[in-house]
Amino acid sequence: MLPPVVPSLVKGATWRIKVKLMLKNYIKIAWRNLKRNKAYAFISVTGLALGIACGILIFTLINYHLSFDNFHHNPDRIYRLYTQWNDETVSKSSGVPQPLGKAFRNNFALAEKTARIIDFDDNLISFTAGNEVKKFREENGVAFTEPEYFDILNFPLIKGDKKTLLSQPNQAIVTEHIAHKYFGIDNAVGKVIRLDNKISFTITGILKDLPANTDRKQEIYVSYSNLDEYTSKKRETNWDGVYSESKAFTLLKPNVSVAQANNALAQIVKGNYKGRDLKIWQFKLQPLSDIHFNADLDGYADKKYLWALFFIGLFLIITACVNFVNLATAQALNRSKEIGVRKVLGSLPNQVFWQFIAETALITIIAVIAAIGIAELALPVINNLFKSKMQFNWGQLTGFIIIITVLVIFLSGSYPGLVLARFQPILALKSKLSQKHIGGFSLRRVLVVVQFSISQVLIIGTIIVVSQLHYSQNTDLGFNKEAVVLLPLPKNDKPIISTMRNRIKEVQGVEKISFCYMAPASSSNNSTNVRFDNRAEDEHWGINTKPGDENYLSTFNIKLVAGRNFYAADSTREFLVNETFAKKLNLKPQQLIGKMMKVDGKTAPIVGVMKDFYNYSFHTEISPLCVMPSNKEYLTCAVKINMRNASSTLASLEKIWTNTYPDELYSYQFLDDNIAKFYELDTVLLRLIEGFAGIAIFIGCLGLYGLVSFMAVRKTKEIGVRKVLGAGILNILWLFGKEFCKLLIIAFCIAAPLAWWAMTNYLKDFTYRIPIGPGIFLAAISSTFIIAAITVGYRATMSALTNPVKSLRSE
Amino acid sequence: MIKITELEKFYRTEEVETIALNKLSIEVKKGEFVAIMGPSGCGKSTLLNILGLLDDPDGGSYLFNDIEVADFNERKRADLRKHNIGFVFQSFNLIDELTVFENVELPLIYTGVAAAERVKRVEEVLDKMQIMHRRNHYPQQLSGGQQQRVAIARAVVNKPKLILADEPTGNLDSSNGNEVMELLTDLNEQGTTIIMVTHSEHDARYSHRIIRLLDGQTVMENIMI
Repeated sequence: MLPPVVPSLVKGATWRIKVKLMLKNYIKIAWRNLKRNKAYAFISVTGLALGIACGILIFTLINYHLSFDNFHHNPDRIYRLYTQWNDETVSKSSGVPQPLGKAFRNNFALAEKTARIIDFDDNLISFTAGNEVKKFREENGVAFTEPEYFDILNFPLIKGDKKTLLSQPNQAIVTEHIAHKYFGIDNAVGKVIRLDNKISFTITGILKDLPANTDRKQEIYVSYSNLDEYTSKKRETNWDGVYSESKAFTLLKPNVSVAQANNALAQIVKGNYKGRDLKIWQFKLQPLSDIHFNADLDGYADKKYLWALFFIGLFLIITACVNFVNLATAQALNRSKEIGVRKVLGSLPNQVFWQFIAETALITIIAVIAAIGIAELALPVINNLFKSKMQFNWGQLTGFIIIITVLVIFLSGSYPGLVLARFQPILALKSKLSQKHIGGFSLRRVLVVVQFSISQVLIIGTIIVVSQLHYSQNTDLGFNKEAVVLLPLPKNDKPIISTMRNRIKEVQGVEKISFCYMAPASSSNNSTNVRFDNRAEDEHWGINTKPGDENYLSTFNIKLVAGRNFYAADSTREFLVNETFAKKLNLKPQQLIGKMMKVDGKTAPIVGVMKDFYNYSFHTEISPLCVMPSNKEYLTCAVKINMRNASSTLASLEKIWTNTYPDELYSYQFLDDNIAKFYELDTVLLRLIEGFAGIAIFIGCLGLYGLVSFMAVRKTKEIGVRKVLGAGILNILWLFGKEFCKLLIIAFCIAAPLAWWAMTNYLKDFTYRIPIGPGIFLAAISSTFIIAAITVGYRATMSALTNPVKSLRSE
Repeated sequence: MIKITELEKFYRTEEVETIALNKLSIEVKKGEFVAIMGPSGCGKSTLLNILGLLDDPDGGSYLFNDIEVADFNERKRADLRKHNIGFVFQSFNLIDELTVFENVELPLIYTGVAAAERVKRVEEVLDKMQIMHRRNHYPQQLSGGQQQRVAIARAVVNKPKLILADEPTGNLDSSNGNEVMELLTDLNEQGTTIIMVTHSEHDARYSHRIIRLLDGQTVMENIMI
């Protein structure tokens, strides 16, 4: 006998079959609809795909930055020590006096480990391979490191003994990458490398290659005990100066608070500083997680830029959804008959709703697949732009994509779905549905206003970033940056310098030549105490020193406003200062001439005052500074050349340089390229804003196109009637134009203050900046108008050209 | 006033070609009131659209006041249309967003009549059609007969020489229909030429002459006495 049938089971089974059939039917209809309305499908999919692709990229970018140095063990207990000077203004440096780390380690039992590390950039590494001496210039340089560094930070060793690592002088550890680069083998332990032709180190360990997401970029670590020998200075007890690359890291014991550690650091200040310095100097702890983001302490990615990117990403996804809703509701009118038939045949409103959700899901899934493709293609471009090595983390991305997909489906599908579900079947069948029944024209207007506000904020942002960059790169810097070649000076003994000077002078095409510490504007700036006119104490601000010879002014074309240039000398006998120095002292330039000044232990008279020039980027203020001869501090040979025969001149310079320094590796830079590097982040930011603004505008245009198509359908009869009554094409175009003019103006009124606020904040980072004038806003609104006119124009013209007979037949 | 000779019009879809007008020749004199009748699909509306310069013929000649207009471009046709022809449709075709006054005013705007003159003429014609009291209403607020009166007012406000009416009483009850026919007759008596497409023998009796079409050709002409 058959078992009795359980009614609920049967019910469940039929329900499942029903759903399956219905789903199949929905997808079939959805697919055919997309095929039939190719333009609609294309616009919807493109808009969504672009929006989601940007979302994926921005998610990856933000995630990448948040992941910086998060792979160390105990990241919440790792801190970097930093210096803060509380003088007239508060200034900070990520560097600390060399003895600080040691004092913290030896005098307090708060940390498990504390390590000092001092980096040098752009070093020459050489070694002998057979009979040949191989040379490499290492941009990331080398780091003199205490062994504890590798107990604090998690950079695993794959060869060598961790216990004896860097514990003796003349030891080095390098990454696998360096080992391969130098020796072509994994195991380079035992090999000897030479640093800047000064000190040799034996490789005792190989580190696993550094991950992309770390700010610690050094790949060559050498014994800390060789530091004094390398710098020929005894800084082990020097508390007065801070070299910005002298860092200290600490791993606090569990249960030790930051306040306790900061207290200990305050005691160190008490023990090592006197008088006014006690108030000025302060050492603090910076959490590991803050290092990547804190712009005051050399952080790379300011969190506010990441937030800006987050909002741009969000805006783009919203814009894409808005677009979809616009198009879908406009399209709904064309679907009324189908919906009418479905309803007459027994479809319930919620079934119509779910049908539409199914269609949206289909479009969204196609768009997501396209978005993943677009993101894959775009990632190398973004990596190139940021010089980063981002990769998609599919584990996290899958979650993100699923959330985005579901959100987009419901955000964009539910409104059109509800509209369709509400149709009255009889009206729908008779095609008597009108705007009134579809509703939401004003909602669509709001949506377009939202889209255009976003586009205009981005356009204004782009214009301001471009203008500021243009200003930074083209404004008179107060010195000549064109056609100046900078050659490094690995050795600066007097005979070498004078031979080199004489030989370079002979080269055809060389106009001027100056030996100096650095060019007028440089990222490396030396600040030190200054005492003016034999006063009782030093000034409360530092002076920037720019050692250079008597040709410094003429080579860089720096003007004097008072006094004269100094006479040729090997060491400091006279000083030149700048206008800012005079302003800081509240004196007129003329009043400085002849006054004595003490800088770096040297006392000499001021003989001239230079017109102010920018000594770094526009992000920073012009510092009070002095130029004085000091042979032994020269690191650069600046040569002003005639660009007409540049290649032969450069070749001659290379020859002379290589002859002078046979053991070194030749390299040169143009000053203007160097200066352009100060704005690298701004340039990247610009490209990014440009890209995203372009996409937002494009998606906005798709939305507008959708809206104007909708209007065209809605106004078909009206256009026909008007044409029959004698309206010309222009009259019809204005029907559309006036609507969009209104929307754009409203969007502008929302966008302008928002953009003004955001960009005023952005410009705050520049000490020398452009004003935000009405011209910028005018440019933004007119460009939006032009873009909108082109988008609307095509569809509106098509409508205006339609034969009225056709429009009226649609009645 | 109107002379069409061997006029042709085809409608093509991917598979079939339908002949709407098959070498049709008709002449309408100034001041005439002509009714065009025939079964659905015989080409009445196509003919009216071509006469109204809303559509192009595919062959043959169309003389409007002795000028060949069959090959006029869009601009010339629009120009000729707005100065000479008024339209009355079965479904009125009023613009929902505009008031009665604004609907009637529209042709005057397009022919560039000055504002003061426009007000005068619109009021005049609304008065004549006895819908002055509804001037500020929207079309949805009017009855069918009133809407058609507004449509006629709009058709005549520019004082056209020709009125083309496409089943003007099709959407109206008999008393409203008669009222509209009376109006058209009055206009005709004042000198306006009228060509009217209709299914109604009753309405056709208001005309001077009935042209009967079948498959795009004239099959019979009745002169009304």
